[in-house]
Amino acid sequence: MNKLYKNKNNFKFGLFLLFISIFYNSITAESFFDAGESSLSLIAESDQINSEETLLIGLKFELNPGWHTYWENPGDAGAGASVTWKLPSGFIASQILWPGPTRIPVEPLMTYGYEDEALLLTKITSPEIISYPVTIEAKVSWFTCKDICLPQEGEVSIRLYQGVKSENNSTSLLKKISKTVPRDFSLPHRVSFLDNKIFLQFERGEAQQISSAYFFPAEYGFISYVANQRLEKNDKSFSLELTPAEVQVKTLNLKGVLKLNLEGASEYYNLDLPLDDKTDNYLFNITLITALFFAFIGGLILNAMPCVFPILSIKILGFIEKSQGSREKMLQHGLVFSAGVLTTFLIVAGLLLFFRSTGDLIGWGYQLQSPLVISLLIYLFVAVGIVFMGNLVLGSQLQKYGFLAQNQRDLTGSFLTGVLAVIVASPCTAPFMGPALGLAYLQPGFGSLFIFLSLGLGFSFPYLTLSIFPQLLSKLPKPGEWMETLKQIMAFPMWGSALWLTWVLSSQVELKSVFAVLIGALLVSICLWLLEKTQNSQGFSRSLALFISIILLAVSLWLIPNSYKSDITEIEGSDYGFSSERLENLRLNQQAVFLNFTADWCITCKVNEVVALNRESIKKIFADKNIVYLKADWTRKDPEIAKLLASYGRTGVPLYILFPPQGDPIILPELLTEDLLVSYVNRIN
Amino acid sequence: MKYLFTTLISLYISLIQASVTTDTTAPDFSLVDSFDKTISLSDFSGSTVVLEWTNHDCPFVAKHYKTGNMQSTQEYAKESGAIWLTIISSAPGTQGYVLSGKANELTTSRNALPKHVLFDPKGDVGLMYGAKTTPHMYVIDEKGVLRYQGAIDDAGGRGFNFKNLLEAENYVKNAISEMQNSQVVSTKVSKPYGCSVKYKS
Repeated sequence: MNKLYKNKNNFKFGLFLLFISIFYNSITAESFFDAGESSLSLIAESDQINSEETLLIGLKFELNPGWHTYWENPGDAGAGASVTWKLPSGFIASQILWPGPTRIPVEPLMTYGYEDEALLLTKITSPEIISYPVTIEAKVSWFTCKDICLPQEGEVSIRLYQGVKSENNSTSLLKKISKTVPRDFSLPHRVSFLDNKIFLQFERGEAQQISSAYFFPAEYGFISYVANQRLEKNDKSFSLELTPAEVQVKTLNLKGVLKLNLEGASEYYNLDLPLDDKTDNYLFNITLITALFFAFIGGLILNAMPCVFPILSIKILGFIEKSQGSREKMLQHGLVFSAGVLTTFLIVAGLLLFFRSTGDLIGWGYQLQSPLVISLLIYLFVAVGIVFMGNLVLGSQLQKYGFLAQNQRDLTGSFLTGVLAVIVASPCTAPFMGPALGLAYLQPGFGSLFIFLSLGLGFSFPYLTLSIFPQLLSKLPKPGEWMETLKQIMAFPMWGSALWLTWVLSSQVELKSVFAVLIGALLVSICLWLLEKTQNSQGFSRSLALFISIILLAVSLWLIPNSYKSDITEIEGSDYGFSSERLENLRLNQQAVFLNFTADWCITCKVNEVVALNRESIKKIFADKNIVYLKADWTRKDPEIAKLLASYGRTGVPLYILFPPQGDPIILPELLTEDLLVSYVNRIN
Repeated sequence: MKYLFTTLISLYISLIQASVTTDTTAPDFSLVDSFDKTISLSDFSGSTVVLEWTNHDCPFVAKHYKTGNMQSTQEYAKESGAIWLTIISSAPGTQGYVLSGKANELTTSRNALPKHVLFDPKGDVGLMYGAKTTPHMYVIDEKGVLRYQGAIDDAGGRGFNFKNLLEAENYVKNAISEMQNSQVVSTKVSKPYGCSVKYKS
């Protein structure tokens, strides 16, 4: 028969065969199967196939209104169709190519599937030798569901003849649907975890054109099917906020299909992102206890910072002087001071939670990105230094007018010292605070409050211990002239801190604005001198001094700059300037990268740069190992850097990450030494 | 305002999407059984308890009963001294909602071996446990700790209709057997498969 058909001269016979085959198909209706609420048919892009060709065929489900059938992953309930092919020998069928699904909610659950019509595609490849006509048969089992589900089963077939591929009335439909089969997403994308949410971040130009997006997870137990997914768009990137599944199953890869709705069209992309153990840990395994412990230690270490130490030592001196012999009174002061510390930390925590709820990424040190805060701190440090150096008794006015009794005044003083100590501690990010505060950020609600409380407790711990065990104080020399001398000496670290802040300010604002703040500091000094000079006098001279002081203060506040200088691109243009885009490109090219998150106001960062990063030996080893050094400078506000920090569970600097050419990034400790850095760099080949 | 709104929405979802984590205490509940008796989970402390969410008209459930797979699992549980509680969370008017008479008839006609058939027409217990499909299985140990949740076996997914259930790996039997031998349950969670539970909407 094959031979006869090949005889093209016998036109009549060919026509006869064609007629027979059409007739045969129509009476047996093999290509169509009616299952009740749905029907199934098998269609092909061409009725002809030659040897060694690939043909697109489709299982077409037509569903009655209101009924649906399922995607490969059905979501919370149901099951996708399954197909068993019966093919002539030598023919090969590909796996099912599932078109992008839609969401079909079944309150309170979520399912994924197709409504009205579903077309599951398969590619058929023919062998070299074919005996025509070819019969492709499929045995299909599927579920058709509305509020209830019907299991359905049917067999369909299609016949193909010899010839060059030519279009038929199914071709355009198959071509259209094949465009909705997910493609690989070739642009950079990543997954990150924050605050018990999962963020899928994508880079793509013209992201603003995306009207909506949805991620269909391919597997159970990592992402909640039913929770809303929030889309956030920037100019060149967008992200989807996903909710973890209620019941978690250990997952190694995040697989699924991303659907993007653009003007009038939908696009589908396959995603397959490895989830490393680190990110897994951040999401599920970190205990609050560990976090509280680190927060406590961090708080303790803050005491030794150059800007905090003087304040606390002066307070302890005052302690020896005033509360000699009275154990009860010491304890009282200790407790009130701690209350001041804890209250301030709680206010900070409250602010952090507030900003987090508004979607802002802020962290410890963030306040120092504001020239306003820096300038106020400069004034404060200058003023505290002057108070240490001179004889000004703050609060004497209040006492004089009888607002506060002597003891009350002292207690208020203790409380305010606590507040002041926390404020001056803010520029000093101790090594332990970065991770602890990063965790605070990841804790839902009250968890962060506890972490801040623990930090406060660690901070006030030495002082509290001294007030509970005053016998420890007896180890110190008796009160006397030395105390006044020590107090004066302590003014110098204060002024030193002010100098350092001035340097930070100089990288944020214009030189003339820095100068304005220095003038402001001078005015504050004059103001304090006036107050000290007249503190024992009354009447006109005191009133005049007060009046002038208020004017001077007002002027010094007016002098504070409130905007960054304009040459913001200064660093970005340089060899080691950082941008997410640059990092992604380097990583795509399998380039090893060392990323340094730093800021001018971060002392730890600067120390690390001096003792390790800026050493010639390190520069050489980076060059030898072909490691690109990138510096992400967070001295000024930068949402891009904040977001990247957050994706590593941090809200502050320093953070050092070594990206090997392949594999997971390595996070380095926050205190670097030359040897340590070399040992890490040697880990990559 | 927008953030407040999304926060409320996710809070709402987390409320309606309650669930129990494996290896934590299974929450107690009280439901009326098909003989009008009030039954609580805590009545059976000291015994292993199996919870089976069901809807007899669901094709997945039907296949498990028709092939005898569910009954054989029930028998295995019974022989191991475990208590089997079948729970129906179908709301009135939806598929699988039955009254006592029909429920008992189904037990007899299908040779099923539940200790009790419990009615949860408001869906409270189903939502509390995060039951999504019929069947959806939970195994609780004698101390009241949830040790397994998910499908009855690994026959779910595409091609369920073609599969021989008696050859499938039965997660519930495995869990019971491992618990009897004081072993850690090896599969603690699996993807539940079947029809959606017909909760009231």
